Amino acid sequence: MNDDLIICRCEEITCGEIRSAIWRGAATLTGLKRRTRAGMGLCQGRTCGTLISRILSRELGRPVSSFEPDTSRPPVVPVPIRVLRGDHE
Amino acid sequence: MRRAHDVVIIGAGVVGTSIAYHLSKHGVDAVLLDRGDIAGGTSSACDGHVLTIDKNPGYDSRLAQKSQAILHDLIQQLPLDAGYRNWGSVLAVESEEDMEAAERFAESKREHGTAIRLMDRAEMRADAPNLAEDIAGGILCGSDSVINPMALAFGLAEGARQNGVELQPFTEVSAIDLDEKGVCAVRTDRGTIFTRAAVCAAGVWSPRIAATVGIQLPIRPRKGHVLVAEQDRLPYWRNMLEFGYLMAKRGVPREVEPDMEQCGVAFVFERTVAGNFLLGSSREFVGFEPGVNPEVVRLMARRAERFFPCIADVHIIRVYTGFRPYTPDHRPIISPVDEAPGFFVAAGHEGNGIGLAAITGRLISDMVLGKEPIVDPSPLLLERFAAN
Repeated sequence: MNDDLIICRCEEITCGEIRSAIWRGAATLTGLKRRTRAGMGLCQGRTCGTLISRILSRELGRPVSSFEPDTSRPPVVPVPIRVLRGDHE
Repeated sequence: MRRAHDVVIIGAGVVGTSIAYHLSKHGVDAVLLDRGDIAGGTSSACDGHVLTIDKNPGYDSRLAQKSQAILHDLIQQLPLDAGYRNWGSVLAVESEEDMEAAERFAESKREHGTAIRLMDRAEMRADAPNLAEDIAGGILCGSDSVINPMALAFGLAEGARQNGVELQPFTEVSAIDLDEKGVCAVRTDRGTIFTRAAVCAAGVWSPRIAATVGIQLPIRPRKGHVLVAEQDRLPYWRNMLEFGYLMAKRGVPREVEPDMEQCGVAFVFERTVAGNFLLGSSREFVGFEPGVNPEVVRLMARRAERFFPCIADVHIIRVYTGFRPYTPDHRPIISPVDEAPGFFVAAGHEGNGIGLAAITGRLISDMVLGKEPIVDPSPLLLERFAAN
């Protein structure tokens, strides 16, 4: 994969930035996210998570299945504040 | 992993990495351990405020200000961009009655050297056009800032590494050993490290480590929720907090529903460098239960909308929780331990860890090296709890 290829589209993080973070010590999807913002955007890594696992796998020489998915947190999809706060006026 | 170091630092959050960085500037041979990744605990589950505005007039204000000044210089030296922005912060005052209390608060803060000023209704509206119309005014502190806490920890760790500190994440400490002189070794799941100085900077997880040398730390996990809003929908350009909550902590009740007081819900707004905004806050003692509580989220969303009605249609993309290391007097423990010579504690910062990381690193460095401390540490010493 080309280093200039954008992997995380929400945060515009390239393959090169991800490889560099792995080289600097990121060993998990969560660790990569915290170093690069990959997976921190609107889709919360739902688009790029698998791709990033594969890069981790290739760079660290371990099977894709050995990488835990990033911690998923609510809400599952973006939710407007007016919905979260309910209608208790 | 080397078998011996002059100093072992346990915990690689903002506090531990700051200690490592400050010691590294003196060429100290140190290793930085964490059972997980750098910035893997509370430092990645908090907000990024670097505030003096909400601190009690007196020692707490001066400590926060000193830390801000150290951080301001420090970030210029770091090898990574920590996303530090000097946007200032505002305490929003809800009513005219509260404005009188706000005036007194601002006055006593000024007496202790904090550069803050009152903003009346018109000035406040000019600075924050999206604010609810009934907000009576505010207090502005121009030196307050935001930072990316994770980037700060990574930057401090990388800076320390470049100065010779060994980084050893994913290494769990099981016990600290003492001999007749004091600390002699730190035992981990990857082997024993011989040392004469061990610094416990494990935040909310510190009591377990201190217990291995027979020391009880009065630190408890206080859970907080944070809401992350989508990018490019900012209602305001500075940090904002509600003044009423500061008063509530001093025993002046707010006009909010009882649930809100019970979950410690207060409006906190942070603009992040990435263009998102964060909404806080909640404070609860529920042990280490990490789940997101929809009821708390509802109350926080309500509280935020009360100050910025225009955010009703902004999407929340993530809600996370973190555990703040609470102490009974809301001050951190930055201290040597008489009963275990060579053992130091730097923990218990509750919601002030990011803001106080810089001064904590400097103070522990002074203590470990036997230098004159940069500020009087006596209100921060562990022995204050024994005296009570």
